[in-house]
Amino acid sequence: MTIGISTYLIYLAVSIALTIWVARTLHKNGRVFLVDVFHGNEALADSVNHLLVVGFYLINFGYVSLALKLGYVVTTAEQSIEALSVKVGLVLLVLGGMHFFNLFIFSRMRRRSVARDQPPVGPDAFTPIQQTAQQQEA
Amino acid sequence: MFLLTVLYDPECGLCRRAHEWLAEQSKIVELNFVPCASEEARERYPQLNHDLTKKDLTVIGDDNGAVYFGPKAWLMVLWALARYRDWSYRLATPELLPTTRRVVSLISQNRYQIGRAAGLNR
Repeated sequence: MTIGISTYLIYLAVSIALTIWVARTLHKNGRVFLVDVFHGNEALADSVNHLLVVGFYLINFGYVSLALKLGYVVTTAEQSIEALSVKVGLVLLVLGGMHFFNLFIFSRMRRRSVARDQPPVGPDAFTPIQQTAQQQEA
Repeated sequence: MFLLTVLYDPECGLCRRAHEWLAEQSKIVELNFVPCASEEARERYPQLNHDLTKKDLTVIGDDNGAVYFGPKAWLMVLWALARYRDWSYRLATPELLPTTRRVVSLISQNRYQIGRAAGLNR
């Protein structure tokens, strides 16, 4: 196996492992947010959570795949490590960006759902309510 | 807030039609319709100014007795509807609220004429 092939294989192994780790973290910790957003509807929260993670995988693996090509020949171990650091560094940055984007979506969904519980306008006044017999029964 | 009481004008055709439409909509907050200035309304809200409720739509939150009058009452009714809750916030933003007030007041004040023109008055 040439050093070029090993570089590619190491790059793929590291990138895939990192992507899976970040996706799992998101999946595990994002669930709480989503359950809250959907007012305790766990089935819906799990479904949306899963869909988000699938999108996350697609974008990251897509990037990893597109960024695979080095464009020059690697002959020494030194060159291989340098090439790897650039490639893996870029994957990490994309993962980080995606991760924060996901957090942003979670927090925005949550904020929206909390805000939606509040009436759009404040009351003009308050009035005492007399409980009628009919309503007390109900 | 789990229940909003809507004091509506039973004598206006437009209001009756709106009432029918509202009854069909899916709601996040239940709406309880009571004719304005009726015996039931007076009994339930002894300190409310019932002559004022005849002038424009009034909505009362049944958990804390919060009174929403006129344009605010309309926004609260929208807020209660699953499909239009987002619109209630949009229409209540500082940019749109003056327009909302104007349009709502115009409709409220001319509700008998509008109802007659639309053939809703029986």
